[in-house]
Amino acid sequence: MHWLTDPFQADFMQRAFIAAIIIGIVAPVVGTWVVLRRMANLGDAMSHGTLAGVGIAYAAGVNVLFGAMGAGLLIAVLLLAFSSNRRLGQETIITVLGTAFFALGVVVISRLDTGVELTHFLFGRVLTVQWGDIWLNLALGGAAVLVVALMFGELRLATFDHVQAEQVGVRVELVQAVLVMLLAVVVVISLRAVGTVMTVTMLVTPAATARLIARDLKRMTLWGVGFGVSEGVVGLMIAYHLSSAPGATIGLVAAAVFAVVFAITLPRRMPHHHRPLD
Amino acid sequence: MSTAPILSVRDLGVHYGDRHALHGVSFDVGAGELIAVIGPNGAGKSTMFKAICGLVNHEGVVEVNGVHCHDHADRMDLAYIPQRNDSDLHFPITVGELVLAGRRRFRRWYGRPTAADRAAASDALERVNLAGCEDCALTELSGGQLQRAYVARALAQEASVVLLDEALSGVDQPSTLELLDVFELLAAQGTTLLIATHDLALARRRFTRCLAVNGTLRADGAPTTVLTGDALESTFGSRGHHALAD
Repeated sequence: MHWLTDPFQADFMQRAFIAAIIIGIVAPVVGTWVVLRRMANLGDAMSHGTLAGVGIAYAAGVNVLFGAMGAGLLIAVLLLAFSSNRRLGQETIITVLGTAFFALGVVVISRLDTGVELTHFLFGRVLTVQWGDIWLNLALGGAAVLVVALMFGELRLATFDHVQAEQVGVRVELVQAVLVMLLAVVVVISLRAVGTVMTVTMLVTPAATARLIARDLKRMTLWGVGFGVSEGVVGLMIAYHLSSAPGATIGLVAAAVFAVVFAITLPRRMPHHHRPLD
Repeated sequence: MSTAPILSVRDLGVHYGDRHALHGVSFDVGAGELIAVIGPNGAGKSTMFKAICGLVNHEGVVEVNGVHCHDHADRMDLAYIPQRNDSDLHFPITVGELVLAGRRRFRRWYGRPTAADRAAASDALERVNLAGCEDCALTELSGGQLQRAYVARALAQEASVVLLDEALSGVDQPSTLELLDVFELLAAQGTTLLIATHDLALARRRFTRCLAVNGTLRADGAPTTVLTGDALESTFGSRGHHALAD
């Protein structure tokens, strides 16, 4: 039993668990739509690109979360501005923006003379999360979940059939813009705990695992939250006992759960389960 | 056909850059008409539907129930059902939820479906012979059933005019006939349906009117007049008669 209870004794671990649970709830709630809209590369670009804001904020002595938020919003605005270019696909623009911002972040942090290491931002330091971070994450995460709950119907319509959505009055471009903003929020609340590299794991993997088993959207969201929270908690416990990097350990647990669920559900996706012939 | 057109199209034109995909299309449609829109691949049938629904920029005028359409809010009496392969059938949405989506026009963005919305969705499913399929996934439906589910969504939307793009493609003969029975029933109840199809023999047998499109409106009238002679050749070229024979 000590194996189970020991990790919860220290204050810093309690804060780490709370941070992981918040991310485990919020990331799959937003990640569900990222997976369904096949926007995983945008999540990747956004999480990497925020490193620029983090580096600049750190250099300026400002809370890095504000820097991450600023960079996330800037990427979102630039993406929306450039996405009308038909000559280049949106995928290309996303990659150019993400790598450019990431490179800027690496350059800025490598020039800092404060002893801070790049890996702290890339993989997070969940054990250093403070109560201030948790309150901020609770506020931002709560707002993100509320927005998704209010816009659930609009998101479903715009994602499934944007043509029909426009036909019945949904403002599809506004829904897309809101989703990009929500992505930025997830990146910000995940930053200190799991880092810019592993954020996309929490965004995509629990929701993708839920997608394998859920029949409808509400169940997919709930399964995603269940996976996200349990993977965060289990990953932290394993990291505590193995003294491994917490963010990366959570990511590995999430990947392992995905692999197991993928294997278990494989028979269901076999051809004889496809649509009946006319 | 009633005297006042339910849909009126005047000088409709669409161009992509310098290329004219469609020009000078004009016609009126009355309530309860069942119309086949015919033409070869690339003739502009889908473009015409999208322009009518305001999904692409266009020239000319579209009026629905006498109201000059400027944006989507003016066109909610129209329902457009794109080609089957445009939708992700693995999307986690049930047939009931799909049909309920048609009710969105009657509530605000944050609103939830009411009991009246659910009753309207059930009624729409019943009208297309899909009662009891509310909880089915889209992948559990056959091609013909899927088309009927989309038609049910249009009915739940209370659309006066339904535009179906290639609704009969890839559907086997019994399902095609069942779909046509549903279309005829809906037309008899007052819904107007425009259906893009490549099946000219079916267009001649089961539709009351044909619009022949190839860059512009080549012919408009009863199948017996549109699917013969010069009109057919003007639309399909010299191989038009073979298309009908096939």
